[in-house]
Amino acid sequence: MIGNFLDQFWSLTFGGLSLGFIYILIALGYTLVYGVLRMINFANSEIFMVGTFATVIVVRDVFKFTQSSEYATGLRLWFILATALVISMLVSGLLSLVVELVAYRRLRRRNSGILAPLISAIGVSMVLAESVRIMTDSRPVAAPRAMDKTFIGQFFDAGIRLDNTIIVIAALALFIALTTFINKTRMGKAIRAVSMNANAARLMGINIDGVISATFLIGGLMTGAAGFFYVLKYENTASSIGFELGIAAFTAAILGGIGNIKGAFFGGLALGLLETYASFFLGTQWKAVTVFIVLVLVLYTRPNGIFGESMTQSRV
Amino acid sequence: MTEPLLSLKNVTMKFGGVTALNDVSFDVKPQEILGLIGPNGAGKTTIFNVITGVYALTSGVISFEGQSLAGKKRYKITRSGIARTFQNIRLWGDMTSLENVMTATDTHKKSGLLSGLFGMPISRREEKRDKARAQELLDFIGIGEYSDRLAKNLPYGVQRRLEIARALGTEPKLLLLDEPAAGFNPAEKVELADTIRRIRDAGYTVLLIEHDMSLVMKVSDRVVVLDFGQKIADDLPKAIQEDPRVIEAYLGVPENAS
Amino acid sequence: MINLRDKGAEIWEKSGRPARAAIVLASIAAVASLPFMGGTILNTPVASYESVLVNPVAMYVLMAIGLNIVIGKSGLLDLGYVAFFAIGAYTMGLLGTKTDLNTWEILPIGIAMSMFAGLILGVPALKLRGDYLAIITLGFGEIVRIVALNLGALGRSEGIQNIPTPPAIFGFEYAFDSHRIYFWTLLVFILLAIWMVRRLSARRAGRAWESIRQDEDVAELLGVPTFKYKIWAFVLGASVGGAAGVLYASKTLYIAPDNFTLQISILILACVVFGGMGNIWGVILGAVVLAYLPDRIRFLSEARLLVFGLVLVIMMNLRPDGLLPRKKREKAIVTKEKS
Repeated sequence: MIGNFLDQFWSLTFGGLSLGFIYILIALGYTLVYGVLRMINFANSEIFMVGTFATVIVVRDVFKFTQSSEYATGLRLWFILATALVISMLVSGLLSLVVELVAYRRLRRRNSGILAPLISAIGVSMVLAESVRIMTDSRPVAAPRAMDKTFIGQFFDAGIRLDNTIIVIAALALFIALTTFINKTRMGKAIRAVSMNANAARLMGINIDGVISATFLIGGLMTGAAGFFYVLKYENTASSIGFELGIAAFTAAILGGIGNIKGAFFGGLALGLLETYASFFLGTQWKAVTVFIVLVLVLYTRPNGIFGESMTQSRV
Repeated sequence: MTEPLLSLKNVTMKFGGVTALNDVSFDVKPQEILGLIGPNGAGKTTIFNVITGVYALTSGVISFEGQSLAGKKRYKITRSGIARTFQNIRLWGDMTSLENVMTATDTHKKSGLLSGLFGMPISRREEKRDKARAQELLDFIGIGEYSDRLAKNLPYGVQRRLEIARALGTEPKLLLLDEPAAGFNPAEKVELADTIRRIRDAGYTVLLIEHDMSLVMKVSDRVVVLDFGQKIADDLPKAIQEDPRVIEAYLGVPENAS
Repeated sequence: MINLRDKGAEIWEKSGRPARAAIVLASIAAVASLPFMGGTILNTPVASYESVLVNPVAMYVLMAIGLNIVIGKSGLLDLGYVAFFAIGAYTMGLLGTKTDLNTWEILPIGIAMSMFAGLILGVPALKLRGDYLAIITLGFGEIVRIVALNLGALGRSEGIQNIPTPPAIFGFEYAFDSHRIYFWTLLVFILLAIWMVRRLSARRAGRAWESIRQDEDVAELLGVPTFKYKIWAFVLGASVGGAAGVLYASKTLYIAPDNFTLQISILILACVVFGGMGNIWGVILGAVVLAYLPDRIRFLSEARLLVFGLVLVIMMNLRPDGLLPRKKREKAIVTKEKS
């Protein structure tokens, strides 16, 4: 068993890294919203799921790829990938904005405590997941492969696949873009200010509603990108994957420290690798249990996560 | 020389880089009314928070009746005889005045969930006894007629007094009042001063945070002054009023500066 | 609806003991006669009216009462309530098929198992606040399902078949399709649960839970042993869920992990939210409406979960207090003073 594992170590690791970057992007959706609202955006998982469907629709219906199509190459390939990525990001980003407006804004104004937004979020999750489930007849949807997933290189004994590479590089670029945005732009600074102290930010004249909408939008963009990368890698999707990956990405955010962008990076990668290795040893059916165990361990040994805040503080 | 009821020795409280309390020491004697004053941000509410166990001390010792409070669970600290009110009123709005106080009187019940469920006689007895006690406390504070009104619907002055009645419900030896006169008009303040004295005369010890100087000076037996987390004076009210350090802390400039 | 409620409260307040007893008995009789109203407008087109009364209506009502203790009264968001239901059901399934014990003997065991599960979940989980408690409980619910799905001893995806029905009681036979008997049995448990909750609400436990729900930090500072009472809420809620599970298994004769999904936890949550968190009558009403309507109105049946999701969002935004808000006792008293 161990021998087998060591043989496959690098190829497992590359797979784990690309999965990890997918988690990072979804985790960013959770962590950014938590930062400004101190609330878990439950619906983020379904926003991811919708993003995956956006990708499938673009590749399958807009560009008309089927299982038997020829692979795209060169410039055409990059154009198709870029379009699918951008559309998924936009769809998820906009959906995220709508969710905030419909499900949370009113509750925020009314200051209705922590239970109400959470329950509303769960409702939104259900509505999105069920709508899609009904539309897909509860069946998974296959995504045609638009490109040849060749091995573009070798590392020790493992082949480096093109799609994994694209995912890692593109997701990393998005992450860097996000951190630059947060650190260098005015809106980014406003978001940070609201995360640190919403009241002070409001007194300083920052438009809180605007900041919150922007945060949901950006979180949605990242999550939508994750949707694209997911379909690129796994070539299928279903109405239920929101829940499956959502819990993992959320755990990643907690592991790194919820509210902390650096934490989302660390947590996402760690969880991607962990899950891939665990699936190898235990089989995929125990994946969810593994993730939960990680969640429980983190919450009870180091609830702040590696970089973030504590969830047991009382407020007096 | 009586043993102090509450004793703070070298209490320091740091939050990250901020030192909220710096080497604060003072005692509270049994059945005295001790006033705690100081400019905004001096650390007064923090003192209440460390006494009641909301924060764990960075260093120093707080002893109540000779025993250290370190590491004790908050509800146990309350059970041992310390109760407080809150600067911004924190009543249980959806419960009536009576229920608010009864929740406090539950502190010393012997009967719990199971005896309540099965209607054991001890549960019925204690319930009856404590209900009467709660009404008694409401009457003592002067808001007995509001016993069946929901706390969130009460007028402000009644709410403030309910906070006190509720704290008294836990049968404390030491009562911590955090700005009980905030928002009161002069007549209400006179009534409050009277109430505080009656509380002390009934056998309780009071530690009082207040911003209204005349109220504090009139009602307190002794006054402790904090500034920037440090104790700068600890004396009789008259002496405090003339202490140059205190004046400087509040006004920034000593009276006879040239 | 508000006037009805206050009118009802007024009448209740003004009645003496014998009058109140009469009202209670009349209400119970009315509910107990529900199985006989299949031929009326209440009839359900999709499934048999009487079977719908048992499952989902009576089942949801019972579980909603249990979940209400946790969420409605104590303010603890438990998203994994289905776990207790599952534990009760699988206990019945395993012991029913592998031992000689009958339903009535297994019932206390199933309840105890659920309560124990509530304890081991609660002790770590209740140290966390709000959202994080929700996630952990959700995880617990899912883990129970996944374990049932993957353990050979629990039948994996096929679950457990041929679970025996309860033995006859007082001459009433429990055949698979004697829905009325099951309904009345569930009614007994519902009444027990109501009695338990009302009993506790009027005393120390009720006050403790309310104070925890409204302001836990202050409750602790006023002497309430908050952790202990939160655990109690969990454990009692679990006991009700476990009882429902045992009865469920001994009626359907066949259980599988698919019967115990996260969706069920959310369904029950919707019942509590819709009806009025904290108010036991509201919760019962909410459960009855949400359990019954999808079977009464055909097109709702397909999109049941979608509707429940909408209910959650709409209720939280427009009427967070639910159909029947928490005690408005004050109104009734004020009217009494005026008259």
